[in-house]
Amino acid sequence: MNSCKILYFAVAFAGAISIAAAADCAVEGRVELPKLRRAPVVNKRYEIVSSAGVLAPFPAFAVVYLEGRFPQPQALPVAQMAQKDLAFVTPLLPVRVGTKVEFPNLDNTYHNIFSFSPSKRFDLGRYTSAERPIPSQTFEKAGLITLRCDIHEHMRGLVLVVDTPHFIPTDSEGRFKLGGLPAGSYKLKAWIDSKTTLEKNVDLIAGQTLRVEFP
Amino acid sequence: MKLLAALSLLIISLTIFGLYLAERQVTAETQHDLRQAFDAELALLRTAREFRHASVIERCHALVHKPRIHAALEDGALDLLYPNAASELGKVLVPGNEEEPLARRSTRARFYRFLNAKGALIPPVVAAEVGELAAEDEQKLSFKSLPEEQQSGYFWMDGNREVVEVIVTPIISTEDGQAIAALVAGFPVAGGERLAPEIQSGLWLDGRLYFQALAEPLRAGLNAKVTEAVTSGEDAAKGGVEVQLGGGRFMLFCESLNPNGLFQTAHEVAIYSLADLLSRQRDLRWRAGGAGALLLLLGIGASFYVSARLAAPVRELAAVSAENRVLREKAEAALKVKSDELLRTARFSADASHQLKTPVAVLRAGLGELIAYGGQTPEAREEISMLLQQTSRLTSIIEDLLLLSRLDAGRVQLEVETVNLTGLVESCVEDLEVLHGFPADCVETNIPPSLMIDGQKRYTHIVVHNLIENARKYNCPGGRIRITAYEEGSTVFLRIANNGHSIPESSREHIFERFHRGGMNENVPGHGLGLNLARELARIHGGDLRLVRSDGEWTEFEARFHSAKVDAKNAEA
Repeated sequence: MNSCKILYFAVAFAGAISIAAAADCAVEGRVELPKLRRAPVVNKRYEIVSSAGVLAPFPAFAVVYLEGRFPQPQALPVAQMAQKDLAFVTPLLPVRVGTKVEFPNLDNTYHNIFSFSPSKRFDLGRYTSAERPIPSQTFEKAGLITLRCDIHEHMRGLVLVVDTPHFIPTDSEGRFKLGGLPAGSYKLKAWIDSKTTLEKNVDLIAGQTLRVEFP
Repeated sequence: MKLLAALSLLIISLTIFGLYLAERQVTAETQHDLRQAFDAELALLRTAREFRHASVIERCHALVHKPRIHAALEDGALDLLYPNAASELGKVLVPGNEEEPLARRSTRARFYRFLNAKGALIPPVVAAEVGELAAEDEQKLSFKSLPEEQQSGYFWMDGNREVVEVIVTPIISTEDGQAIAALVAGFPVAGGERLAPEIQSGLWLDGRLYFQALAEPLRAGLNAKVTEAVTSGEDAAKGGVEVQLGGGRFMLFCESLNPNGLFQTAHEVAIYSLADLLSRQRDLRWRAGGAGALLLLLGIGASFYVSARLAAPVRELAAVSAENRVLREKAEAALKVKSDELLRTARFSADASHQLKTPVAVLRAGLGELIAYGGQTPEAREEISMLLQQTSRLTSIIEDLLLLSRLDAGRVQLEVETVNLTGLVESCVEDLEVLHGFPADCVETNIPPSLMIDGQKRYTHIVVHNLIENARKYNCPGGRIRITAYEEGSTVFLRIANNGHSIPESSREHIFERFHRGGMNENVPGHGLGLNLARELARIHGGDLRLVRSDGEWTEFEARFHSAKVDAKNAEA
């Protein structure tokens, strides 16, 4: 796990703690991850691979999140999607709606990160590692955003914007544990790839840990 | 004059031959030059075409790899497709300025469009930005399905006024490797413009010729030629054929451009004007002709000079040879005279001898009868006896002369037999004693018994007799005669010596001449024919006669004969 992952685990953990005062439910389980048998079209080094037009991180992991109505926080922490060695450091970044994401360039060359995705179109223009302030975008709409670099056509990154504070990436085995959840009925979703999001209705009971297996 | 004419003729023929060679050379070289120039220009044209093609293809490739194009197509932002293409492609794909040279303009697209995954046209937002097209022309750009590989083809556009090269480049998704769209770009092509210095290039497509630079009647003519070339076979005019177009001669080159593509095959048509080349050839011929004429004049001048230089010694030579001829003719005439004289002399002496024989015989017989009748005074008898003696000498001379003249005329035929030389010598020695009273003890003979030689006895007898007679006649009083004979190999030597006076050196050459008598013994009877006759006869026997010694002590003659030993042996066998 790299620093960015630690960061968003920390964010998620902090979110969980803050809600823990109101509720203390948890969900744990396992998401069955797709086995990428076919050779990825794009080189393995790049962490977003596509197979038959489906984008997924590699090595595979999923993002599990709980959908429902949750109060908006005063301020959201800033996330980062850095570029290093002509690739996005984080292949897939899950963020809550309204999160500001910085795109620092850690290479010695220009990058030009842009997105034509319907949920967020932006173009950061060309910039180097010296660019200050670090080019950033705030993601106001839930959805999957494909990040590209206009200069390096192979670069691909994903930002999964979810309208919930309760989300967590699985480990490479697909295991997850999402805690600090309020009791109630929700939809628990597992994003597996750009075309596959599984969901299950869950009833969370205070003080209990629900076990969910996807699928 | 003859020399001059010959030289001039030689030079003229050489010059004409040279001119002929030069003409052939000029023709061959011009042909070669033409071929080379044509090939060079064609190569230039092809290179330019390939370069341009590679360039536009590369541009299309680069374009379809642009992340923004991919993003617009793959990330569901078709509305951003044309605007981004416009910004991405910048000046590359905007329609070229008509004022620009074709070489630059032809790498800029006249228009471009995108096709969706089904091959249908994605309509542009602002047509002016992507090159406006008539609806019917735009229709031509759609496909039933997208090609998997880049294709290029040619289309008549703008109401059949223009041909454009259309390059269809599929856009392959980086996500699934499938063709998700295609870029269709149209580029202007040469319509008869001069791309290389001498070469004009255009296109033949769908039975029509795109060759705007050529005026209509010529274009129709060229179209007919190209149609013929195209329909007659696969790239019939690929290497270039010569054609006649409206009074001018051209090399026509025709090559199919996209033989295995999706689109209708187009043919590149290039014509190369031969006018300049022909005029150059004409010019070269004139120059060669001029040079030849000059050469001819120079040659004739040189021949005058050379013949003048050559003629002098030849004239001298001619003069000398004329002199020589006169001399030779004189010499020949003289020789003829001499020979005639000789013949006449020989005939005369033969005739004379013959004519003399009869009267001498009559005279002799008369004198003999006169003595036989008797009744004369002793003085008269002595006189008659002396006359008789003289007639017998005369007879001997006549006979010798007759024999000599027959020898001279080559009319003596030897009837060769085996002659006993020993016997011959003995009988002559006997005669010495009997006829002349020469003392027998003064004659030394050293002859092997039965020494046989080849010859005719009558003539060998004359040889031996004359030699012994001479030895007797010219001997000193009381002198001796020595006769030796021996055999060496196939030769028999007979040596006859006396103690006569030494013959002076100066006379030795002459003793064998006729009527030579040594100039010393006028009292000695003889007529100076003996030695000469003996030598002639020895020679016709294949031998010879020579003086071997004359030193005051001995004067010795040597006669050679062929030995008859072999024959004798054969005879014995």
